[in-house]
Amino acid sequence: MMNKNQLPDMIISGVSDAAGGSYDQVIIDGVGRIKGAVTSRVFRGNGNIHVMGDLAAEELDCNGTMNVRGNISFDTMRADGMFKVKGALRGERFNLNGLINIQGNCELEEFKGEGGFTIDGLLSAGHVDFQLQGSGKAREIGVESIVILQANIGVWSKLWSGIFPTFKPELVTGTIEGDHINLEYTTAEIVRGNTVIIGPGCKIGLVEYRSELSVHPASVIGKEEKIGG
Amino acid sequence: MEEDLISKKDLLDLTGISYGQLYRWKRKQLIPEDWFIRKSTFTGQETFFPKKLILARVHNILNLKDDLSLDDLAGKLSDNFSFSTLTLSAEMALERNIVSNVTMNKFGEWPGVGREYNFDQLLHLYTVDSLLGNGEINLEEADLLLQTLRLRTPRFEGKNYDLFFIRKMGVSSFILAPSPAELLFDEGVRLVTKVSLGDLIEQLKGKLT
Repeated sequence: MMNKNQLPDMIISGVSDAAGGSYDQVIIDGVGRIKGAVTSRVFRGNGNIHVMGDLAAEELDCNGTMNVRGNISFDTMRADGMFKVKGALRGERFNLNGLINIQGNCELEEFKGEGGFTIDGLLSAGHVDFQLQGSGKAREIGVESIVILQANIGVWSKLWSGIFPTFKPELVTGTIEGDHINLEYTTAEIVRGNTVIIGPGCKIGLVEYRSELSVHPASVIGKEEKIGG
Repeated sequence: MEEDLISKKDLLDLTGISYGQLYRWKRKQLIPEDWFIRKSTFTGQETFFPKKLILARVHNILNLKDDLSLDDLAGKLSDNFSFSTLTLSAEMALERNIVSNVTMNKFGEWPGVGREYNFDQLLHLYTVDSLLGNGEINLEEADLLLQTLRLRTPRFEGKNYDLFFIRKMGVSSFILAPSPAELLFDEGVRLVTKVSLGDLIEQLKGKLT
């Protein structure tokens, strides 16, 4: 690996294109388009950012919109706004305030935030702690612990969610597997876990649990099954 | 060929690990992506694993995880590179029950090297030893097998392969094929044994760590 001290910085203020490459810091304020894969220690973006290739950074901080054509990997990422990732997302800690759309798999140790997400692949995480203000979608979820809650939503978003279903603060997924599962307003085919807490507004086809299950009376469960001793 | 598979649920029951652990290990690349085999069953989609491989791997991880961090483990288990630099003396190989005394005495002499073995050489000896131990081959055939492995396996370049041992009219031969392979023989052929080298590699890694 190259010595970090020798790496240059990339700073964009205003509107500009840039080539990819390895940097120490990438700071973009305004509209920036990076035409290739970029690796950096720190990546800070405010405004509208396009990355045409893979994006890798130890520290990622983004406000506004970002569009990544390739994969994205990081140690920590804080994101406020709207994000789109064509490939996979991989990292240690991810804090999201807004909406993200990931077309590949999503692998994280810690996933926290508020807003909504759409993951076309598998969401695999150590801990997920998410408050839904918009819709949450994933093909499959595999975790150690997951807490999905509906954020307190105002009258306006209730009104919007009637018109646009994407604003409906609900989680929709095929299967959820984990050790500790705590859900609200979730539609899933199968939920498998050790301790499972099903809050209000859930529709679940099959729940398999090992030690504990509690179900809110306002939820519908097709079948409950206790497995193991 | 229907490989021996185990469903995720059975795996968890059998090994006592949890979903969280399984997913964590997958994230840390302790369990390769292509071992997750998705199949539809009457209850919907289920995930299956190659039974022998996953059981050996889980066993290895559980044994080692107290001493090593998961990241170190990943380096140890998932790529062969850390093993490719490893060498073991004849005494160590005997001590760790990788190779029996008989095999070591008969085949331990490697042309060009002293009594130090690298991972591939150990694997070859281990393969020969386990087949000899089962009584499936005799010493003469063991010699042939060792030569075959030595000459031919570099061509697989680290890919998994299966070893077939057949006999017809008293004449024996070995066949190596990239796995999963299904070979069909004529009536007179008796398939004495079929070994997946992937399983042996996994077992050998268990013994080495």
